[in-house]
Amino acid sequence: MNQDNDPALSRRRFLARAAGGAALALTAGPIGLLMDRAEAGETAAQTQDPLIVHVTRPYDAETPVQEFLSWVTPNDRFFVRSHFGPPPPERIDKATWRLTLSGLVEHTLTLTFDDLLKFEEITVTAVVQCSGNGRAFHRPKVPGVQWERGAVGNARWTGIRLRDVLRRAGLKTQARHLQLLGADRPVAETVPLFVRSIPIEKALHPDTILAYRMNGEPLPLLHGAPLRLITPGWMADSCVKWLMDLTVQEEEAKGYYMQTAYRYPLHPVQPGEVIDPHDLKPVEAMVVKSLIAAPQQGATLSGGTVMVQGVAWTGEGRIARVEVSTDEGQTWEPARLVGDDVPYAWRRWQFLWQVRGSGLRTILCRATDDRGQVQPMASPWNPGGFLWNGVDRVQVQVTEA
Amino acid sequence: MSVNVRRPVPSLRGLMALAAAMLSLTCLTMGLAQEQTTAQTADQQAQRLLAARCAVCHSTDLIQQQRLPRDRWEATVKKMVHWGAQLDKGEAAMLTAYLAKYFHPEAGPVVALPAASSVQADQAGRESGAAPTPVGVEARGATLYKQNCLPCHGEAGSGGVGPKLAHNPILTQADRFRTTVSQGRGAMPPWGAVLRPQEIADIHSWLQTLK
Repeated sequence: MNQDNDPALSRRRFLARAAGGAALALTAGPIGLLMDRAEAGETAAQTQDPLIVHVTRPYDAETPVQEFLSWVTPNDRFFVRSHFGPPPPERIDKATWRLTLSGLVEHTLTLTFDDLLKFEEITVTAVVQCSGNGRAFHRPKVPGVQWERGAVGNARWTGIRLRDVLRRAGLKTQARHLQLLGADRPVAETVPLFVRSIPIEKALHPDTILAYRMNGEPLPLLHGAPLRLITPGWMADSCVKWLMDLTVQEEEAKGYYMQTAYRYPLHPVQPGEVIDPHDLKPVEAMVVKSLIAAPQQGATLSGGTVMVQGVAWTGEGRIARVEVSTDEGQTWEPARLVGDDVPYAWRRWQFLWQVRGSGLRTILCRATDDRGQVQPMASPWNPGGFLWNGVDRVQVQVTEA
Repeated sequence: MSVNVRRPVPSLRGLMALAAAMLSLTCLTMGLAQEQTTAQTADQQAQRLLAARCAVCHSTDLIQQQRLPRDRWEATVKKMVHWGAQLDKGEAAMLTAYLAKYFHPEAGPVVALPAASSVQADQAGRESGAAPTPVGVEARGATLYKQNCLPCHGEAGSGGVGPKLAHNPILTQADRFRTTVSQGRGAMPPWGAVLRPQEIADIHSWLQTLK
């Protein structure tokens, strides 16, 4: 099933957008204006619209997709996912904060923030996307934050290689997983901590970084200050914020957020089907996906030539092509890939649509990566509502020219 | 000159039938009204539970965006109780029924919550009375604090997600304390629908004893 076949959902999306981007909607008509602003480095951030808030406490909010005309998502416009909200300031004060590395290592390490700065610094531009982005489009609906399209962003992450820290400590031969724990804590002690782990291969990957800067600025509080993990190409459930404790171990992390949540079925499942826990694996790599940033859902266009544009990304491969359909997917035409082509970052694309006729029209886009993954019309249903990557869809009103 | 107006004289049988019909109609509407009142009360109680037991950890917008069948709501409430939500069996059942009634898969994008205003009204009613400020009982306050305030304000008012309450200047202003608790402030939900003025006074008294 597809997202906009549900009129109720379309309306909700429209309402959400109307609330989230009222000021932007006023300037939606002239696409050229939006382009100029994006290219001049001026983004929607200046308009100070709120993000689209799904949960006020702990804060969960997504970015209005029209802001993805900008290749880099500004820090204050980047989506926020919180399990418990930021830790109290004293727990993450750079002067007293420590990163510890223990478990199956030759030497336990305790590093100050300044110690981190002595390692070689690298910058990776990477998409960070909530595993539940697009959850609202699954049918039947599944529990969880009802993210729509904007729980994703592209930023420049600066920090040090995780593997350099692991090598400093020295891994024992049984080392298979790296457990991660941040400084954030739930309101009640009875709620499980956000304990996660990644396989040691990903931890040792040269592009996996402990990041302390985001788009050149110190990592903001809501994004994990002073240190978060960035696992380029993987979903953000691995990108633990407010990182404090690393533990090398033989087994995957125990606990709700690793053993129950953020897991995906190995085989297609039917709603309501009982799934053997052995048939669930952790959500890791991203799947190929694209979004239409302009024109916006619900826009009125006067026909002629319309610039359709957006972004596309994939997990550990590269975007090979993006196609656009204006006839409900019967025929697809190639879009032009533009701008920087950088591993792990998203790719911008543009398509010149020669609009014929008038009335309500639907624009679809789908991406294909260099490993042959193609965006499906709708993603496989799964109980957690993860990894939605169904073709993106925008409906516009075309008036007589 | 008099005019004879012919009035139809109702037969006794007709009268009895009418009376019976009216009686049964009255009974029916009374039954209906009673059912409505019961449902309304259950809704109100469930809404108080939402504010008091769920909103301790997360705002209720997280709940209101879900559209789940009853079995999923049952599983969710069970999970939350397992994680420490303060709900006894009856309360959990009441909450589940409420959630399944309003936030089901066919509910549409905007759910109208009929009883929402009555919680407010009830709260206002409790506050508008000219009743004198109740005198708090410390021992009761300790228990009430543990059940309602501790998750955010910490053991012995030491602070946590919410501010430290031991020696907090607000304790010197009983009126401000009562208003803040009953109406909420910032991230803190309004407790007026859950805690009676007497209970707020109990908590206040106990907090004042903290060293």
